[in-house]
Amino acid sequence: MITVVKLHKTIKKRKILSDVTFSIAEGECVGLLGPNGAGKTTLIKCMTGILQHEQGNITFNSNPIVQHKKNIGYLSQHTDFKPWMTCEESLFFFGKLSGLDKTFLKGNISAVLEEVGLKDKGNYKVEQLSGGMKQRLGIAQAILHQPLLLILDEPVSALDPIGRNEVKKLIARLKKRTTIIISTHILDDASEFCDRYIIIKNGMIVGNITEEFQKSDRKQILVKMGNVPQTSEALKSSEVERVECLSPNTFLLTGAVELDLQKVVNDFAAKEMDITSIEFYERGIEEIFLEMVSDT
Amino acid sequence: MTNFYTLTCTELVEAAKEFKFIWLSLFFVILGITQPLITKYMDVILENVGGADGITIDPNRPVPSSAEVLLSTISGQFNQIGLIILIISFMGLIAADRNSGMQDFILTRPVSLRSYLLSKLMGHWVISMFSISIGAVVSYGYTIFLFGSFSFSNFFLFLLLYSLWILFVVSLAILISTFVKSPILIAVTTIAASIFFILIKGFNHFLFQLSPGGILNLAENQLLSVHDSNYFSIATCVAFILLNLSWANMNLKKS
Repeated sequence: MITVVKLHKTIKKRKILSDVTFSIAEGECVGLLGPNGAGKTTLIKCMTGILQHEQGNITFNSNPIVQHKKNIGYLSQHTDFKPWMTCEESLFFFGKLSGLDKTFLKGNISAVLEEVGLKDKGNYKVEQLSGGMKQRLGIAQAILHQPLLLILDEPVSALDPIGRNEVKKLIARLKKRTTIIISTHILDDASEFCDRYIIIKNGMIVGNITEEFQKSDRKQILVKMGNVPQTSEALKSSEVERVECLSPNTFLLTGAVELDLQKVVNDFAAKEMDITSIEFYERGIEEIFLEMVSDT
Repeated sequence: MTNFYTLTCTELVEAAKEFKFIWLSLFFVILGITQPLITKYMDVILENVGGADGITIDPNRPVPSSAEVLLSTISGQFNQIGLIILIISFMGLIAADRNSGMQDFILTRPVSLRSYLLSKLMGHWVISMFSISIGAVVSYGYTIFLFGSFSFSNFFLFLLLYSLWILFVVSLAILISTFVKSPILIAVTTIAASIFFILIKGFNHFLFQLSPGGILNLAENQLLSVHDSNYFSIATCVAFILLNLSWANMNLKKS
């Protein structure tokens, strides 16, 4: 659906994005992760056509992205509207800018407000809304023109737990029918919706993490023992490079290369060790993220 | 074009909701009546206010013409205090949208940057000229009442040319807004640059004629009925407005 190829962007002589390449297929929900200042917002602004890039291509269904603004819904990091407008007026304003006709808008505005849970707030002025409500109104303006791609820049980071919960529920519903890109540095939130993660650091893509990647990263094995061994060194073998004790009878074995589970089991059997369970350790996105963005 | 219309209307409605049309007009009306009243009744004012010991008003002083009074209202009141207040009133024209994320919401729609910038220019020019015109018309009325008649067509021509200067000032504020985000800094820089273009007249007249401020000279000449006017100033001013907008357009695309 959307393809970014060798994208470069410099702002005030500072390189913000460098050689960024990735693609997103229809129906995917992709998390754009990175520490603060990594270049996530700049990348999103280039993808939405707000900023011009110096080099590279961004295409939407094989056409330049600027031709597809009508197919993109965007929620900015700082969500604020004209405070004097009511929710309905705000949506009408954005609908008009999207080229939607009045008749369509009149019907669609109430449907969208209902979808985001603001049905009874249509006549409320924006200044009367809470942070969570404003964010939901932000999502409402992003989905009003029924876009094929929804780009959400830090949709929950500025909200309190109640607001976050409301917005997260809404995103989960939208995920079923729209391709979504969520930029965030809150990994727990990303892991609730995303099928894939693109990790960006210093303006460069440093990781493209799929669920398969998380499972196929077979360098670590989690072992639970029936009896507590006298020393964790006893668990070491030619393949196992490092042993970490997670609890008195739970150990994490790390190999330099991919570990052979059967070989490790045979090794323990030869040493007559009492193993309750043994399995590949599936790392969470947070661990993978921290490893990829750490400087060491 | 539809987007330009929608955005301009929103700017105007916003100004109406903030009562900008009312308070700016009132402000220019006060400025407009102050100059003719002070010029006419200076001696009476000094007599009644007191604290005028040692100040002597020459009873045989020449009575200024309506053109001179109108000129001092415009160059002394409108173009100094008026301009400062005007610039302060629209210092957030781009910065507010930028800081609130509204600009991003607008530009991710099928809205061109040109439409967005032109709507800002048009909206704030209309608000400014509405207020200035009301103030100027009231001042014109007072001036002809107190100092004698003055050609309305010349006055109208003056307003028309002066509106080009205001258009330039708004375009300058737009350009500066694309460099700095702080509204106060935008206001200070725009005021300083505008005053520079006005003051340049005293240093180098040729440079002044080539600068956007040259249009002020042409406008003032309509009040003084000077006929050897430099109409080239109109082209210069329009060129500077276009330059400001193109530069602002380029800046917003880049960052």
